[in-house]
Amino acid sequence: MKIKFAGRAILGALAAIGVSFTANAATYDLSVDYVTIDTGGMQTKGIGYNGASPGPTLRLKEGEDAVIKVTNNLDEATSIHWHGLILPYQMDGVPGISFPGIEPGETFTYRIPVKQSGTYWFHSHSGFQEPDGAYGSIIIESEKREPFKFDREYVVVLKDKHPHSGARIMRNLKMMPDYYNRNQRTFGDFISDVSKNGLGTTLSERGDWGSMRMMRTDIEDVQGFVGLINGKSPEQNWTGLFKPGERVRLRFINASAMTYFDVRIPGLDMTVVQADGNNVQPVKVDEFRISVAETYDVIVQPKDDKAYGIMAESTGRSGYAFATLAPKEGMRADIPERRMESPLLTMADMGMSHGNMDGMDHGAMSDTDPGIMAGMDHSNMAGMDHSKMGTTKTDPFYAAGSGLAPEAANGGKFLSYADLKAQKPLYPERPATREIELRLTGNMERYTWSINGVKYEDAEPIRLKYGERVRFKFVNETMMSHPMHLHGMWSILDTGQGKWNPVKHTININPGTTVYSETEVDEPGQWAFHCHLSYHMAAGMFRKVIVEGGPAVAALENGNL
Amino acid sequence: MPIFKTSFMRRFAVSTMVLGALAGYQTSAFAGAGHSGGHGGDGASEIGAPGEISDVRRTIRIAMEDNFYDKEKIIVRGGETVRFIVENKGEFVHEFNIGTAAMHADHQDEMMMMMEHGALEIDKINMDMMEMDMGNGMSMKHDDPNSVLLEPGKTAEVIWTFPKKAELEFACNVPGHYESGMVGNVRLQ
Repeated sequence: MKIKFAGRAILGALAAIGVSFTANAATYDLSVDYVTIDTGGMQTKGIGYNGASPGPTLRLKEGEDAVIKVTNNLDEATSIHWHGLILPYQMDGVPGISFPGIEPGETFTYRIPVKQSGTYWFHSHSGFQEPDGAYGSIIIESEKREPFKFDREYVVVLKDKHPHSGARIMRNLKMMPDYYNRNQRTFGDFISDVSKNGLGTTLSERGDWGSMRMMRTDIEDVQGFVGLINGKSPEQNWTGLFKPGERVRLRFINASAMTYFDVRIPGLDMTVVQADGNNVQPVKVDEFRISVAETYDVIVQPKDDKAYGIMAESTGRSGYAFATLAPKEGMRADIPERRMESPLLTMADMGMSHGNMDGMDHGAMSDTDPGIMAGMDHSNMAGMDHSKMGTTKTDPFYAAGSGLAPEAANGGKFLSYADLKAQKPLYPERPATREIELRLTGNMERYTWSINGVKYEDAEPIRLKYGERVRFKFVNETMMSHPMHLHGMWSILDTGQGKWNPVKHTININPGTTVYSETEVDEPGQWAFHCHLSYHMAAGMFRKVIVEGGPAVAALENGNL
Repeated sequence: MPIFKTSFMRRFAVSTMVLGALAGYQTSAFAGAGHSGGHGGDGASEIGAPGEISDVRRTIRIAMEDNFYDKEKIIVRGGETVRFIVENKGEFVHEFNIGTAAMHADHQDEMMMMMEHGALEIDKINMDMMEMDMGNGMSMKHDDPNSVLLEPGKTAEVIWTFPKKAELEFACNVPGHYESGMVGNVRLQ
C-alpha cells in the first residue's frame, strides 16, 4: 500500500498541530481560538482549533497512548469530545458528565489509550461551539493491514455553515420553530393538491398535519446554510488531486449541526468500505446519505484525466456542498444539476400509514429477500414519481411510503443501512439481556425535543450494568430523522444479519420507524446519549447513561494520572 | 432461466471445479461441453490457455485473505506455463481469476447475480444451487481453468500457459472485492 501523497499531506497536518513522539506515546497540542470563517461570499466570527475552522486532522496510531493538550484561548468554557473513540469516561469531554469542562486560559490534558482504528472526528461539547466551527477530523492508523487497498486518501468533512451563530439560531427556533424553513406550503400548493387529490383528501390531510404540529416540509429545521467541504464553499472548491487509475480513499465525515447530505460523484462508483470507523464488507454504490455525525469511507478509482465533482445535496434540497477531484491543480468539475424539488413528508413519516415499520422485528428479516419490500403498496404516497419505483428496492429503514426514502440521481444503487455488514464482527453474537425502549418525542411548534416525552433536565439517567448486553428500541414518534449517538460504547445496529450486523457510534432513526441497536456494556463510568442534531440536543433530546459496576476506574484529576 | 447468460454458466462451472480441485483436474477440457461460442477459444488466444503439468517449470503460491492477495503483482515470462497453488486463508469466499480488466468487469456482474440468487454467500458456496439443471443443454459439469472460486480454508491449483503479450490482471470478482483492491497485475516479460 503506497500512500506517499497522503503522507505528504499528513506531514503538513502534523506540523500544523505540533506533534512529538516518545516510545509508544504521542503528544498533540490543540488550542481553542476565536477565528474568522471565510466562505467566499461571507465572513463570520466563529470558533476553531489552532487558529482555523475546521481544525486540523489528528492522526493517531492504534496501540499508542495519545496525550492531547487542549488550551482554551476563549473567554468562555470549552471542551473536546472525541466522537466515536472508546476511552476512559473522564476523557470523553462532556461537561457535567465526564468532567467539569475547560475554563478560559486553562490547559486540559487528555490521555487516550488508542485501541481502535478508522475515521472519526472531534468537536466541542459546550454550548453551540460546534455549529460555530469547533470541529476537526481524526484518522487512526490500523495496526494490521486493512482489508482494502488505496493509493492516496483524503478526509472529506461536510459542514452546514450558517451565517447566524448557534445561540441566535436556537433563540429564533424557540421563538418561531419555522423561522428557518423557507419552504412553507402555500395557498398555491393547496390549490394544486385539490386539483390533484380532490378537496376532501386535501382538507383531511391538512387537518392531520395541523394536529401533528408539523408541516410536510419539516425536513430541515435550519435552512439558509452554505455547505462546506473541508471548510470550503462550493465557490471556493476544495480540490483533491489524483493520478488517473489510482484508488483514492475518501473519508467522509458529516460534522454538520443539523444537515444530512446525499453524496455522489457523477461518473464514479463508490465502494463503501467503512462506516463509523468500523470496516464493512465492501459495497458498491452510486450514492449514499450521511446522517449528522456519521462517517463513511469509500474507495473510488477515477480513470480518466479529467475533473470529477463530489456533490453533497442536503436531504431537504435547501443547500449543497461541492468539491472537486482532479488530476491537476486549478481544475474544476461542473456542478451537476441540482434536484431542486424538496421531498415532502408523507402520512407514513407521521407513523400513520399501514404497513410501516412500527414494531417490526428486524431479527426476522434475516432470510427474507430484501426484494420483497419492493412489492409494497405505494398508493398512499404523496409527491413521488411512481413510475420510478418499480426499478428500485425500497429501503427497509424508511417507513413504507416515506417521502424521505432516497433515490440515486442516476437511478442506480443508493446505500441502505441494510447493506452494511461488518467485515469482522467485533463482538461474539449473543442474546441481549434486556430491552430498553426509547421513544423519540417532540413538539415542533414549541421546539421541544425529548426522549419518552421527558427532556434532559427532568429525566432520570439510564442505568446499565457492566457486562450486560442491552437492546435499545428506538421508536421515532416525530417527523424528523434523529441521529442517536451513544458515547463510550459501540452500538450494534440490528439489520437482521446476525453476526454481520454493523457496529456504529451513531444510529439514524427515520420518521415513523422503529430501529434496534444493541450495546455490550463494557466501559464503566457515565456517558452522554443524545440526538446529534445540535438544536435537538440542546432542547433536551439527551440522556445521561450510568454504567454500574465493572472495574474501578482510578479517579483522574484534570487528566493527570 | 433465460436471463442468465452463457457467461453465467461459466461461474457455476468454476464452482463445480472447486469440488474436484483437490483431486487435481484435467486441463485439456478447456471450452468443453456445453459451450458454443462467446467464450473459450476466442478468449484463450487473448489471455493464454490451460497448461499441461509436464510444461510447468515454476509454481507460484497465492494466499487469499480478507480482502486481498499476499502478492501485489505476478511476473512471468511470455509463453511460460505456471502452476498456481491458491489458498483461501480468509473467512470469506474468494476467487483467483486470470483475465483482462474487461473480462473481470463482466464477471463481477455475474457474481453479483449469483449472490442475489443465493448461489454464493459471503462465506460459502451453495453447491446444490450450483448444480441446478439450467436447461438449454447447459451442463454444469465443465471447468473454467483460468480461475478458482474457493470457500474459506480451501486450496486449489490453476495451471496456465500465458500468451506472449497481453494486459492481464489476477482478480477476485466477489462483489466489492475487486473494487476495494483485491486485484493485481500480471507482468509479462
